[in-house]
Amino acid sequence: MSGTGPGPAHAAALAGLPGMTPVRLARLLADGDPSETWARLVEGPHRVEDDRGFAASARRTDPIEVGEEYARAGVAILMPGGPGYPTPLAGDPGAPAVLFARGDTAVLEDRRRVAIVGTRSATPYGRKVASELGRQLAADGVVVVSGLARGIDGAAHAGAVRASADDPGRPVAVVGTGVDVVYPASNRALWEQVASDGVVLSESPLGTAPLPRVFPARNRIIAALVDVVVVVECHHRGGALITAEAAARRGIPVCAVPGSVQSRASEGTNGLLVDGCTPVRDAADVLVAVSLARTGRRPPAPAVEAASLVAARGRDRHRPGDGGRRRPDANRGHAERADLPEGSPERAVLEAVEDVPTSFETILLRTALAIPEAVDACHRLVAEGRLRSGAGWWSRR
Amino acid sequence: MIAAIPSAVLIGVDGKLVSVEVHVSNGLPGFTVVGLPDAAVRESRDRVRAALLSSGLPWPLRRVTVNLAPSGVRKGGAGLDLPIAVGVLVASGELAPEAVDGMAFIGELGLDGSLRGLAGTLVLAEALRHRTLVVPEVSAGEAALCRDGRVRSAGNLRQLVDCLAGRHPWTEPAPPPVTGGLPASGAAPGGGPDLSEIRGQRLARRALEVAAAGGHHLLLVGPPGSGKTMLANRMADLLPPLSRATALEAARVHSAAGVPLTPSGLPCRPPFRAPHHGASAVSMIGGGTTRMRPGEISLAHGGVLFLDEMGEFPTVVLDALRQPLEEGQVRVSRAGGSATFPARFVLVGAMNPCPCGEGGPPGHCRCRESARERYAHRLSAPLLDRFDIAVRVDRPDVDDLIGGPPGETTATVAARVAAARRLATERRVPSNAALSGPALGRTVPMTDEAATELELEMRSGALTARGLHRVHRIARTVADLDGGGAAIEASHVREALLLRCQRRLLLGEEPR
Repeated sequence: MSGTGPGPAHAAALAGLPGMTPVRLARLLADGDPSETWARLVEGPHRVEDDRGFAASARRTDPIEVGEEYARAGVAILMPGGPGYPTPLAGDPGAPAVLFARGDTAVLEDRRRVAIVGTRSATPYGRKVASELGRQLAADGVVVVSGLARGIDGAAHAGAVRASADDPGRPVAVVGTGVDVVYPASNRALWEQVASDGVVLSESPLGTAPLPRVFPARNRIIAALVDVVVVVECHHRGGALITAEAAARRGIPVCAVPGSVQSRASEGTNGLLVDGCTPVRDAADVLVAVSLARTGRRPPAPAVEAASLVAARGRDRHRPGDGGRRRPDANRGHAERADLPEGSPERAVLEAVEDVPTSFETILLRTALAIPEAVDACHRLVAEGRLRSGAGWWSRR
Repeated sequence: MIAAIPSAVLIGVDGKLVSVEVHVSNGLPGFTVVGLPDAAVRESRDRVRAALLSSGLPWPLRRVTVNLAPSGVRKGGAGLDLPIAVGVLVASGELAPEAVDGMAFIGELGLDGSLRGLAGTLVLAEALRHRTLVVPEVSAGEAALCRDGRVRSAGNLRQLVDCLAGRHPWTEPAPPPVTGGLPASGAAPGGGPDLSEIRGQRLARRALEVAAAGGHHLLLVGPPGSGKTMLANRMADLLPPLSRATALEAARVHSAAGVPLTPSGLPCRPPFRAPHHGASAVSMIGGGTTRMRPGEISLAHGGVLFLDEMGEFPTVVLDALRQPLEEGQVRVSRAGGSATFPARFVLVGAMNPCPCGEGGPPGHCRCRESARERYAHRLSAPLLDRFDIAVRVDRPDVDDLIGGPPGETTATVAARVAAARRLATERRVPSNAALSGPALGRTVPMTDEAATELELEMRSGALTARGLHRVHRIARTVADLDGGGAAIEASHVREALLLRCQRRLLLGEEPR
């Protein structure tokens, strides 16, 4: 494990002082070695910009102990120019002065890196797309970078870690809390998985709670780390737009997944597309967007009846390097319904349910079925695995 | 000379007998009232004196002492004006003691000698039912509700004295009762808005019907403007008319609270009460210091209590509802005494799904998950448990609405509800909601298919033991509405599973 010597230990101790922020820390460490800064701070009335009682706190702190604590927790302390510090961050104007890592930072080197980000209150559609993108990109050997938050972030990582059994994806998480503070708690298993397969990074010292200010700050690190940012779903003002903006400022391409114009969770992403971001539908589009040479496998086209395949070919002909591959989701609904008799309640219900969650009331209105009929039809479709239901919403599997 | 005039005062929804003793003796002219009178009773001195004088009756220029026995009970209200005045007349020799023999008096006096009605006449009349009761003319109808004849009334003091002295016959026909006091907050019973005015909302209408048929408490969750209040306003008219016993109980409560009774006297339509969410715990549950007044839950007895914007009610108020919901009555205790009020009602709650009100499918609104969770938890788990049925009410698309078929009328649905209620009565419960766990298993058959359905749901972990009973009860009501009251079938269970109340409905979780 790199970087638990005296220098990094002092840096970690500085980062852990009460009231310290990434910006102040960067200013403190701008000129000189952390241990010298520490000594200056402890010894007395020196030029310490922006001192907020740092000196007093520092006198009560033993940096060696802090270093040992990080060593015990298995958390590496990374400094610019030091071992393990991610190369993409070097030279970045907003690069963190110190970075804490759980896992193997080497995964960031020599691989293509893609950020998959989005809203925390995601729709099932967004989660599915994020998870699928994560899985496909990881399977293609791309490092998936995200924030391990609820919603899109978590879904992307969940997809990445189960990319394949023998060659796990190399997920990278940049979190806002300390790397030992799992937030949200429901992501604990995923968090551990990312730390063991890849690396969890944070510029916040151990024990930092999920404060609102830490999350926008970490978004800039995500943006700086990657070759392309993919926004899957995002409301019209959301944290993912901060990431997109940070990326744009660095000249890093931003892609967005189109969504329904009626879905609020896609307002931000659709807005990005209108502003000229590259639309992406799947991993292939992402890779094309960053002009990556592609040699990987294509997912096999699912079996469909000939007519719709021909139609799909016609539509997809324009795609570069695609060889007329049928998009997996095209005409999905039609294929799903094909075996249900025309006019049956099940067919009517399936036609009434959209990809976005649909309420029972809407199903009733669209099918004009009697309530018991509709209930039974929904029930059978759920039992057959064609519909999902929960808390009054129904959506296609 | 001494006179003792029987009367009564209101404590909670019960009448407490009071004997008004008047002593007139030689001494310095004066007028004292003893026996724990409250301010209103003490002020009656001045009203009584003025009323006597303006009626052309003599005021004894002697020492007048009034004692209200039993003297340990605090007496409130102006209803003792009339017995005090009559007592003074008897004690001073203006009226023969035989003239008031076997009679009791209640009523408030005006300075001009007119007799005024008062809250709680029905209850007081009940307490004094062994005597001939004399009440103000306006209260005669209400007093007659609980008695057969033996109610006398007069418009003013002069007329009353003439009648008592036999100089004038009693006026016979009792006019319709109108009590003074607070106006009702609910809609006019019976003639309320019709269910057919609501377009679409088929699931919510169905939930309303099932709730009315089974007496199940109902929670409506939806964004503002989705029609929650419209739906709830139509609930009371779906319920069957009150039984005579319930109507009397309701009338007692309404009378005690000073809510005007219907022209026919007894309320026949279930009451509908919709207190604002600023309501205090006392106004909801009942209470007060000297005179205990029934709260909104008792005024809704036999009918519907509608709590709009349930998330905005103080938690204390909501949690105070739990015990009455369970027991059908509420016992209010204060230092000055305690009272039991009836409180059996169907609770209809309406709530926004989240603080911004938009709710909708996952990802639709921007409320943080934690904010949504906090909002949902304004309804404590035990209170949420009392709701059998909960449905989401959404603003439907305009296109969907215009194409939809017109809804059924209140009358059509109420007929089905009444039939289902009759089946419950045969099971010796007021409604299916009152069926307990063991009673459910015993009296309510279920087809094998339906039982399997329930078992599957339980094994998948989607249903707890408590939820099982709930689904069972709702399924019973759904089957009853289907007609016949035969065994519960699988489709009934499925519908019950759709209607049952679950917290997840508030959290807007995504489909699993």
